[in-house]
Amino acid sequence: MLELKGIYKWVNTGNNRVFLLKDVDLSVQPGEFISIMGPSGSGKSTLLNVIGMLDTFDQGEYNFLHEPVHKLKEKQRSSLYKQYIGFVFQAYHLIDELTVYENIETPLIYQDIKTSERKAMVADVLDRFQIVGKKDLFPTQLSGGQQQLVGIARALIARPKLLLADEPTGNLNSKQGEEIMGLFKQLNDEGMTIIQVTHSEKNAAYGSRIINLLDGMVAR
Amino acid sequence: MIKNYFKIAWRNMVKNKGYSAINIGGLAVGMAVAMLIGLWVHDELTYDRYHQNYDRIAQVMQHANFNGKVETQVSNPALMGPELRDKYGSNFKYVIQSSWTGGHLLSIGDKHISKVGNFFEPDAPDMLTLKMLKGTRAGLKDPYSIMMSASAAESLFGKEDPINKTIKLDRSFDVKVTGVYEDLPDNTSFREIKIMMPWELWLIQNPWAKQMNEPWGSNFSQTFVQIADNTDMASVSAKIKNTKLNNVSKEEAKYQWAVFLHPMGKWNLYNEFRNGVNTGGNIRYVWLFGIIGIFVLLLACINFMNLATARSEKRAREVGIRKAIGSMRWQLIRQFFAESYLVVILAFVLSLILVVLLLPLFNEVAGKKIAIPWQNPIFWTFSLVFILITGLLSGSYPALYLSSFQPLKVLKGTFRVGRFASVPRKVLVVLQFTVSVMLIIGTIIVYQQIQYAKDRPIGYTRNGLINLGMEKEIREHYETVRTELKNSGAIEEMAASNSPLTQVWNTNGGFEWEGKDPNLAVDFPNNRVSYEFGKTVNWKIKEGRDFSRDYATDSAAFIINESAAKFLGFKNPVGTVLKWNNQPFTIIGVVNDIMQESPFYPVRPTLYHIGEYENMYNLILRLNPQKNAKQSLTSIEQLLKKYTPSVPFDYKFVDEEFGGKFRAEERIGKLSSYFAILAVLISCLGLFGMASFVAEQRTKEIGIRKVLGASVINLWQLLSKEFVLLVVFSCIIAVPIAWYYLSNWLTNYDYRITISWQVFALAAAAALIITIVTVSFQAIKAAIANPVKSLRTE
Repeated sequence: MLELKGIYKWVNTGNNRVFLLKDVDLSVQPGEFISIMGPSGSGKSTLLNVIGMLDTFDQGEYNFLHEPVHKLKEKQRSSLYKQYIGFVFQAYHLIDELTVYENIETPLIYQDIKTSERKAMVADVLDRFQIVGKKDLFPTQLSGGQQQLVGIARALIARPKLLLADEPTGNLNSKQGEEIMGLFKQLNDEGMTIIQVTHSEKNAAYGSRIINLLDGMVAR
Repeated sequence: MIKNYFKIAWRNMVKNKGYSAINIGGLAVGMAVAMLIGLWVHDELTYDRYHQNYDRIAQVMQHANFNGKVETQVSNPALMGPELRDKYGSNFKYVIQSSWTGGHLLSIGDKHISKVGNFFEPDAPDMLTLKMLKGTRAGLKDPYSIMMSASAAESLFGKEDPINKTIKLDRSFDVKVTGVYEDLPDNTSFREIKIMMPWELWLIQNPWAKQMNEPWGSNFSQTFVQIADNTDMASVSAKIKNTKLNNVSKEEAKYQWAVFLHPMGKWNLYNEFRNGVNTGGNIRYVWLFGIIGIFVLLLACINFMNLATARSEKRAREVGIRKAIGSMRWQLIRQFFAESYLVVILAFVLSLILVVLLLPLFNEVAGKKIAIPWQNPIFWTFSLVFILITGLLSGSYPALYLSSFQPLKVLKGTFRVGRFASVPRKVLVVLQFTVSVMLIIGTIIVYQQIQYAKDRPIGYTRNGLINLGMEKEIREHYETVRTELKNSGAIEEMAASNSPLTQVWNTNGGFEWEGKDPNLAVDFPNNRVSYEFGKTVNWKIKEGRDFSRDYATDSAAFIINESAAKFLGFKNPVGTVLKWNNQPFTIIGVVNDIMQESPFYPVRPTLYHIGEYENMYNLILRLNPQKNAKQSLTSIEQLLKKYTPSVPFDYKFVDEEFGGKFRAEERIGKLSSYFAILAVLISCLGLFGMASFVAEQRTKEIGIRKVLGASVINLWQLLSKEFVLLVVFSCIIAVPIAWYYLSNWLTNYDYRITISWQVFALAAAAALIITIVTVSFQAIKAAIANPVKSLRTE
């Protein structure tokens, strides 16, 4: 599905070059559920952002569905991203001014999907996540777990091929966290490729493979 | 997608009520100002367009060279029209000789009404393309006819059909109504004219006009033309240049009379001539107010941009999320534009309401009768373009700026509005206050100039003086009327005069004196007065004595003003002889300059002499200060009615007439002061909004400082300093620009103030005080907040 080869990312501070990612190789097959682990500052989120094309890298090759991402222009990258990748954030990042329904609908709007079709797709997802009753509420009226559920629903609405999650349970209590991880597991069973960043061994165990990062390098 | 944009925009607006109110309110005020100015400018630019052939109509005018200085006048000899027709007929479609516009008494039975009108040659209704409601445009062919506007017809005849009705004109001629036309609209030069009579009747009424020795030497009428369709204004104007010069005597030829055409399209906006050159006129104010309008609108737009970008940190997260879930940059740009357009449209609706409410007041101040052209598609097209431009102006910066955020940084929380992000905002605040300070300075200087001219010595005492026309019966019984009025105690003194006190109706040449340069051309205002003129108006004799009935020789005597004494160059003017058309007149006194004309120009050398009452048209009365003015006026009216029962008692206080000389300047002053207030208001709204956001942004910093021991004063200084510095900077920019522009404006006036630095200091101080007050409200609010609370928000 995707392949990273010799990825480097660095920042220069004065005369020093600090490596955020150092010679990372990673290959992900469709249907995998990968957990990226490592201590704070080890480059987990950076790696996830690079994979998610939210961040750039300085050296190396990145092929996503046989497209050479490192050669693509910004615009092509974002259309690739828009089409195939869904993102879930630790802090949910819902738009406070929009209702649950509208939050979920927004990515579809950006993909120029027709109103009637949008309605069907959102209704479908609401139904599936059992949040139909909450569709007219605003994010601030929901609990953290419910907000994250909406966040996941939003990430999935456009039927991506890859779901990226940056500590999706970081702001949740353990019961809510378990529910979310259960959901991820279920999605993976249905064939969704998932990469998550997590601190917790327990959450990592839901995945099919664990990548350990240390100081920007994959620990082998 | 658009629906979605507007939905979010609406929710954002409702959520931030105060912010939205400032935004919409400020923008609406700016738009209302721009709209009012737009209507005003449109009105000025379409002046006289009512006449279909306005681009081919012109007034015949003359330049005359008085000792090297070229003066320009509209008055012409009565022979001008006939001469143009004879010699250059093929160049003109119509040539129309005309009288001056003035009041005329119309009587039907016991009903007497005074209406303003003109005597025209018969083609005038065609030339002016009058819209006839009754009768035809051929109504002035018979000398004893009259055409009237619908309003005049109604006030005279009510609902009756006026056609063929007979009216007595000026109590002497029976004239027949031959036509009723639609009143001329307010923005036409002939708007005051409500009745039109044939020029031929004027000649019958004023037989002297045909009996003059030198008919080309006397200018007492006007000439209008419409040029032929196959020619152009400039070439006709050049052709007729010597029309007068070819006909005048050698003595008159000294003035190098040059006839030219002043096109109707320029009457209103380009009506000033300096030294023979058309130097503009109202067009100056069209530009000035046009620029002000654009600036005020710009200020309002700047507010919008400023407030929107000041909120950027709050909106940044949303931008980040949207980008992270697949929004392209242009989609965000569109979203922010949708928001700004929503605000702009709401502001436009509000501004329309404001304009409807303010229009009557505006019309009063501007002396206009402007209405909103609701039914005019051009107005709506214009409004649409206006909305588009305003939305683009105010929305572009926030849209481009906000949409440029990097999603990752924003979402990680490492996003900080950089050090330079606030630079454009600061530039915009500086621009706002520069304009505001300039307007404040302008207002002060215009008022100073008006006050300066008002305080100028006028050479007589205005209070308690009234002026009214003198009818034939009064002229015949002048002495009796005077005695009766004085005996009644209503007045202190009465005088007759050729010109009213606030105008010069008559100037004369033909003066000779010892030592005069033979090439010197002279043309003095020459006022024919009664013996008590000086006593009535209370002039100040500087040398010699006043006119007196005790000296028989005073019928051939001049009293001259100081300017005349200077001009003539006599060491001892009193006793010197001045020859007028070869008749010797002795100068018996010198008086202080009496200001009869513009308060902004020097008083011309003026002569006063005693004359027959038949040739005087004005009665000047000084009311008895010991008596109630109202009672005095009633008794004067009663007394005059004995002699002229059918003439309305139409008097004018000299004070008010004098005040009228400042009307144009006062209008400018008032308008610019209103605009200044609005500009300051809009700038303050913006500043208020900015200050509140800065205070909010720095809540944490303020909390920490407070915990570390900062006092309220320290914090207030911290928060206000930046804004004060910006305003100081604005003042530094505004002062030289204002100084340059206003010194230019003042050169229009010969009698003018010198601009003092105090004005600038005052304006700067005002701007600073306003700033401090505006900002302090927010600063103090932030400074006295509980630090624990502000720190806990993290």
